[in-house]
Amino acid sequence: MINLAKKDISHTLGKFIVTAMGVGMLLGIVLIMIGVYRGMLVDAEALLKDLSVDVWVVQENTLGPFADASRVPEDLKNTLLAIDGVDKTAALTFQNIQIPTPTKPLRVVALGFDPFGDINAISKERLIKGRGLKRSHYEVVVSDNLGFELGESMNLGRNIYKVVGITHGTVSSGGDPLIYISLKDAQELQFLYSNARIRNDRARGLKGGDAHMVNTIVATIKSGYDVDKVAASIKRWKHKSVYTADEQKDILTKNLIERASKQIGLFTAILVVVSTIIIALIIYTMTLEKMKEISIMKLIGIPNSIIIKMIVQETLLLGFLAFIFGNAFSHLIYSKFPKRVVLELPDAWMLFIVVIIASILSSFIGVKKVISADPAAAIGG
Amino acid sequence: MSKKQSIKVQNLVKSFGSGDSRVDIIDGASFEVNKGELVALIAPSGAGKTTLLMMIGCVEEPTSGTIWLGDEKVYENKWLTKETRKIRREKIGFIFQAHYLIPFLNVIENVTLVPQTNGLSTEESEKKAMELLDYFDIGDKAHAKPSELSGGQNQRVAIARALANTPEIILADEPTAALDMERSVGVVKMLKRIAIEQNVAVIMVTHDEAMLPLCDRILKIENKKVISSVVPKGSHLL
Ligand SMILES: Nc1ncnc2c1ncn2[C@@H]1O[C@H](COP(=O)(O)OP(=O)(O)OP(=O)(O)O)[C@@H](O)[C@H]1O
Ligand SMILES: [Mg+2]
Repeated sequence: MINLAKKDISHTLGKFIVTAMGVGMLLGIVLIMIGVYRGMLVDAEALLKDLSVDVWVVQENTLGPFADASRVPEDLKNTLLAIDGVDKTAALTFQNIQIPTPTKPLRVVALGFDPFGDINAISKERLIKGRGLKRSHYEVVVSDNLGFELGESMNLGRNIYKVVGITHGTVSSGGDPLIYISLKDAQELQFLYSNARIRNDRARGLKGGDAHMVNTIVATIKSGYDVDKVAASIKRWKHKSVYTADEQKDILTKNLIERASKQIGLFTAILVVVSTIIIALIIYTMTLEKMKEISIMKLIGIPNSIIIKMIVQETLLLGFLAFIFGNAFSHLIYSKFPKRVVLELPDAWMLFIVVIIASILSSFIGVKKVISADPAAAIGG
Repeated sequence: MSKKQSIKVQNLVKSFGSGDSRVDIIDGASFEVNKGELVALIAPSGAGKTTLLMMIGCVEEPTSGTIWLGDEKVYENKWLTKETRKIRREKIGFIFQAHYLIPFLNVIENVTLVPQTNGLSTEESEKKAMELLDYFDIGDKAHAKPSELSGGQNQRVAIARALANTPEIILADEPTAALDMERSVGVVKMLKRIAIEQNVAVIMVTHDEAMLPLCDRILKIENKKVISSVVPKGSHLL
C-alpha cells in the first residue's frame, strides 16, 4: 500500500523540514529553560558538595548563611569541639563583592576560611592551577571563568591581592563565580568599615565593628555518631540554629531557588503550550492546503482511515523531527549561557512525551477537517 | 433488473434547500443505461447534469427515488448502505473536466491508489496500471508527477485511474471540455472502446455536439426529467 504521508512529505520536503526546524527551536528553548532550572539546582549544591561538612551552625532563628544573614562569633569553632561527636570545625564567611576582573567589574562571592584550619574549603579536584591559600593575608584563589592568570593581582578593599590558585567549576549557591580568601582578609572586608565610617560611628557614640565575627561555623562529625543527634545537642547547648548538610541542601533548593524555579516552570509551561498551539496550527494549515486532494480521494472512494492515517503520520513525524532538532539546537547553544545549563535525558524524554501528545491532539483538528470534507467539493468551482 | 442493465434510475427527485427556498433540480427522472453502452448526457448549463452524475455516483444524496447499480439497489429514498464510498471505489470510475490527480503522487501511484485500497497487491496493481498507461501511450511517464505532464497526458492518466479498479460504470463529467477537437475525439473513442471491450456502462456529460455521433444514445434533461433519444445520423466524424 502506498504510504501517503511519505509521498506528501517528500513532495514538499524542504518546507516540511524548515517547519520542523522552526518548531524544533521552540522546543530547544523549552529544553534550555529546563536546563537552566537544573543548572540552578546543581549550582545550589555545588558548594555544599565541595565543603562536604556535616553540620552548619548559624545565628539563632536564621536560615543562614545562604538564605539569611547570619553572624556568629569566630571562637564558637573552638567551643564546638567540646561537644561529643564533633570532629573538625571551621569558621567561614560568605560575602558578595564586586571585583575588577581583567575585562570588567564582576559580582562574585568571596568565601573566607582559615588556611591553617582543620577544614580546607578548596577541594583538591577543583584546583586546576597553582595552589591553595598558604598565608593569612592578601592571597586569593579564583574561579577560572573570571579570566585571571596565576600571579596577577587585584584590588580588594584597601589592599592588593595576588592570585595564587585557579579553580574550575566552583560557584556560589546562586551560580556566581567564587573566590577564596583568608578568613582574616574576609573579616576585614566584611566587618571593618572604612576610616570615614569608623570616625563617623565614633562621633555618634557607636563602637567600631567587631572583626571577630563570621557567618557560619561548619563541622564534621566523628564516624559512629548520628549527625542529627550531634546537631541537636549543639542546638541545645549553644543556642544557635544548626542544620545538617541535608537540611542546608533543602534550604538552598527549596527556600532559595523556589521562586526562581516557579518562574522558570511557569515560563516553560507557557512555552510548551505555545509550541502545542503552533504545532496544531501547522497541522491545521497543512490539512487545509490538502483539502482539495482530500476531497478528491474521498470522491474516488478512498476511506477516511487511509486519509486520517496520512494526517496523523505527518503530525507525528513533524513532532518527532521537531524534537530531534530541538535537542540538537539546545546542545549547540547551551554552553553559550553565562550560568550553568544542565541538559538531562529524563527531561528530554518528558518533553518527547509532551510533544507526541501535543502532536496527537493537534492531528485531531486535521482529522476533524478530513471527516467534514465534502467529496463533491472536489469538482465544485 | 435485467442482465443487460448496469444503471437503472426510477422516479429520482433532487431538490436543494427547503420551505420557500426549495428548488427542484431533478423531478421524477427514470432511465437505464446498459452494459457496453456509451451514453451522452446533455442539457443546458445549470440543468443538473453534474448533480445527476453525482447521485448515480453515490456522492450526492438524492431527495427520493430508486437507484440500481448492477445487481445492487443502492438507493431507495435513502442510501441502502452506509459505505457509499466502498461502492464508489469498487464499481465506479470518475472522469472530470480537470484531471484531479493527486499532485504528490506520481502517475503510477495515482492509478494504483484505488486498486490497492481495494486490496490488490502492489505488484498486481502496478502491472495492471502499466498495461493501462501503455494502452494510453503514457507508459514512459509512469514515474513523473502530474505537474510534469501536459493537460492531455494528465487527462489520459485520469482515465487510466478511472479504469484501474475495473469499474462497472464510468461517469465522465465533460471529459473533453479542456481538450482540442482531435484529442476530444480520441478520448470519446477511447471511452467507446472501453465500453465495448470491458462491457462497462459509460455516461458522459458533454456540451460538444460534435461528440454526440460517437455515442450510442443521448440522455437529455428536459423539464427536470430525463428523456432518451437516438443520435443524429450522418456525422462526418463517424
Ligand atoms: N449544493 C448545492 N446547493 C444548492 N444548489 C445547488 C447545489 N449544487 C448544485 N446546485 C444547483 O443545482 C443546479 C444544477 O447544478 P449542476 O452543477 O448539476 O449543473 P450542470 O448541468 O452540471 O451545469 P454545468 O453545465 O454548468 O456544469 C444549479 O442551478 C446549481 O446552482
Ligand atoms: Mg456540471
